[in-house]
Amino acid sequence: MSRRGDLMARTSLVALGAFAIMASAITILVVIPKTMMREVRAMPELAPYTEQQLVGRQVYIANGCIYCHSQQIRDPAFTTDVNRGWGSRATVPEDYVHDRPHLLGTMRTGPDLINVGQRLPSVDWHLIHLYDPRAVFEWSTMPAFPFLFEERQPNDVRPGEKVVPIPGPRAPRGVTIVAKPEALALVDYLVSLKRQYPIADSLRAGDRMAIGGGTHGAGGTHD
Amino acid sequence: MLPTSLAVAIATAAMTLVPALLLLWAWRRGLFRDLDAQSRVIFEPRDWRIERPWEAPSDRLAREAAHGPLESPQPGEWGGAGRSDTA
Amino acid sequence: MSAPDTPRFGSVEAARGRLTLEEVGAIASSRGLAPEDLEVRLRADASSRRAVLALFAVALGWLIIGTIFGDIASIKLHSPDFLTRTSWLTFGRVRTAHLHAVNYGWATAALIGMALWLMPRLVHTELKGVPIAIGGAVLFTIGIAAGIVAVLAGWSDGMEWLEAPRWLAGPFLVIGGGLIGLSLFWTVASRKSEHLYVSVWYILGAFIWFPMLYLVGKWPTYVGVESAAANWFFAHNVLGFWLTALSVGGAYYFIPKVLGRPIYSYQLSIVGFWSLAMFYSLNGMHHLVGGPLPTWMITTSIVASVFMFIPVVATAINLHMTVVGRFGALRYSPTLRFVVLGAFAYTAVSLQGSFTALREVNRVTHFTHWTVAHSHVGAYAFVTFVAFGAMYYIVPRLVGHEWPSERLIRWHFNLVLAGIAIYVVALSWAGVAQGLALLDPATPFQESLRRTLPGLWARTFGGLLLTAGHLVFAYHFWIMVRTPERARRTRPPFHEARPVLYTAEAEAARR
Repeated sequence: MSRRGDLMARTSLVALGAFAIMASAITILVVIPKTMMREVRAMPELAPYTEQQLVGRQVYIANGCIYCHSQQIRDPAFTTDVNRGWGSRATVPEDYVHDRPHLLGTMRTGPDLINVGQRLPSVDWHLIHLYDPRAVFEWSTMPAFPFLFEERQPNDVRPGEKVVPIPGPRAPRGVTIVAKPEALALVDYLVSLKRQYPIADSLRAGDRMAIGGGTHGAGGTHD
Repeated sequence: MLPTSLAVAIATAAMTLVPALLLLWAWRRGLFRDLDAQSRVIFEPRDWRIERPWEAPSDRLAREAAHGPLESPQPGEWGGAGRSDTA
Repeated sequence: MSAPDTPRFGSVEAARGRLTLEEVGAIASSRGLAPEDLEVRLRADASSRRAVLALFAVALGWLIIGTIFGDIASIKLHSPDFLTRTSWLTFGRVRTAHLHAVNYGWATAALIGMALWLMPRLVHTELKGVPIAIGGAVLFTIGIAAGIVAVLAGWSDGMEWLEAPRWLAGPFLVIGGGLIGLSLFWTVASRKSEHLYVSVWYILGAFIWFPMLYLVGKWPTYVGVESAAANWFFAHNVLGFWLTALSVGGAYYFIPKVLGRPIYSYQLSIVGFWSLAMFYSLNGMHHLVGGPLPTWMITTSIVASVFMFIPVVATAINLHMTVVGRFGALRYSPTLRFVVLGAFAYTAVSLQGSFTALREVNRVTHFTHWTVAHSHVGAYAFVTFVAFGAMYYIVPRLVGHEWPSERLIRWHFNLVLAGIAIYVVALSWAGVAQGLALLDPATPFQESLRRTLPGLWARTFGGLLLTAGHLVFAYHFWIMVRTPERARRTRPPFHEARPVLYTAEAEAARR
């Protein structure tokens, strides 16, 4: 075999091997799960996001809320997310069917939010909290989002606009705070986050065994 | 319907077998003989002969014996500034 | 082959231009090389010179910008009313700008520069398609910048590490990166070396893998938890198959080269490469332990994370046994200082990763600052340190003289070493404290936050030290490449070696 042929063989070998390994890994961790997930359907209690909620979801993404807040409840047999009051059960793939993309998150500088609509259903609460988190919790290090709001003269509020009733000592003097549409959309999205409807055991994440087949309830987790 | 476990098993097998076969083929082609020469590809004769201030006298002698008289390093030879013998 | 343009500052072309053919021959034989070998190395360096220096300059720009974004983000975590009025600087956007600027801006540009210098050296031929490589670098940089500006303006694709809007930044990144890859593959295809050194595999691999990963990460039709799997497949593997691959490839070159000793066991390096590819690629789901994914996927990743032991120990043995007995060299060589410490950090961060993937440990550390600290051991103490070491070695060989100031090198090293040490220790501690507090349902949430505050302040301090170190290095790089022709006479050009220098009398006269 020629020297040149030998050298080309070596290079092609490395390239081919590298490609094959990565392609296999993509198959295992991306392609196969994607095929499995075709079977996943939302429960009837989980309505798709409304137009406004989707706008709000985009505001959530645009402002990077995901970098401090997660949206997933882990198995109560594994850890204490449920005990802490963040949800009544672990979340499962069916809970995220309307999410494009996922917002599962990797940091809990702030609390988990997947059930925040259940815990904190008040629109006013969220508007105040977004305008000035420390007006609600003085220990909070969440960023304030004043740019989602407008400062208006008290008599300059038009009908249909939402005034934010900021309480006590931190209320800004002499101005009225009005929520911009982005703020209202974001709050609409947050208040919609509820994943506590019951699910049958057989839909638990670990029990799916077939691609393209129905659910085969096996019960229990596969830890 | 294809069970997930089977699909995963096949993909994992492909992932191990394909590189293993490629490596075997490479070995049969003789691409793994003379690995020591491969590890020396990055060196020029001068790299062997530069005097390295951190080397013990015995290493220096061994280098001289193997490669001939030693040469001075250039200023900044090792990626630093100024004289090569200052830290 | 492109003709070298008019050399300015003591470049190797200048050196070569001033030497007659006979002198080239004499120098070559005094070094035990055939004249055409000397020519090749000089030509290799000359061919890559413009592209590499340009990439290093761009990389340093991103390093400064990215570190400043990092400082701002860090301050906001303990002092949230800092710069809070404008949407462009809200934490959620600045943090992302930091991540992109340091990983895709600094680290990627610096390592590509290193690869473009290294490949011609390794395959003994000039860099092919230099204008293509430079054009690609320009496009890629535009893509990164566009992505960062978009994110700061509030336009994000939403997945961590993949925020740059695909239809805005994507074309620039794909075409730019593709052009750079083209130049590299063309160079490899034209090679004249007899063997393929292991660093070549790592570089080739990186340039094959990154496009595959980007395609997977940016695929537009994911729904729900599929997108989570794809997200963390991309984000984890961009660390292993792009940043780590290039950095390990660099370490395998610079450590033996400076020490004048071959790698301890070339067989081990083959094992290391292939086992890295096999196990690292399945790790990604360990970012989702406990999450709403099929358990088999997460278990696969945990098992693969533990199996990472094999390539990591193989590389650690190889690099350690090559350096052992010669640690004194670190005193003389900034390149070794940075690259060897970087290699240690690689072992450390990988073992830390294997450990953190275990469910019982992950229970404590997931969702905490521990993960951020861990990521900085990898991206900074390992990757960035290797890039620093590589730049200290490469730049003199491109501008024709050594670095001007020993003091600036020392300041750089001490500042960044102190900075990253404080950063990692403080933030890891904060993360564990946070995690333990979160695990106890009786402990109120605010307590988990309160316990992190000292660590967050310390991290800001560490980050400011890093920023200072980077400013020192950027300044040093600036004066290094701007050194006027005049100053060369007081400091002999790096590669210009006239035969007379090699006699004992001439050496004595020079001292």
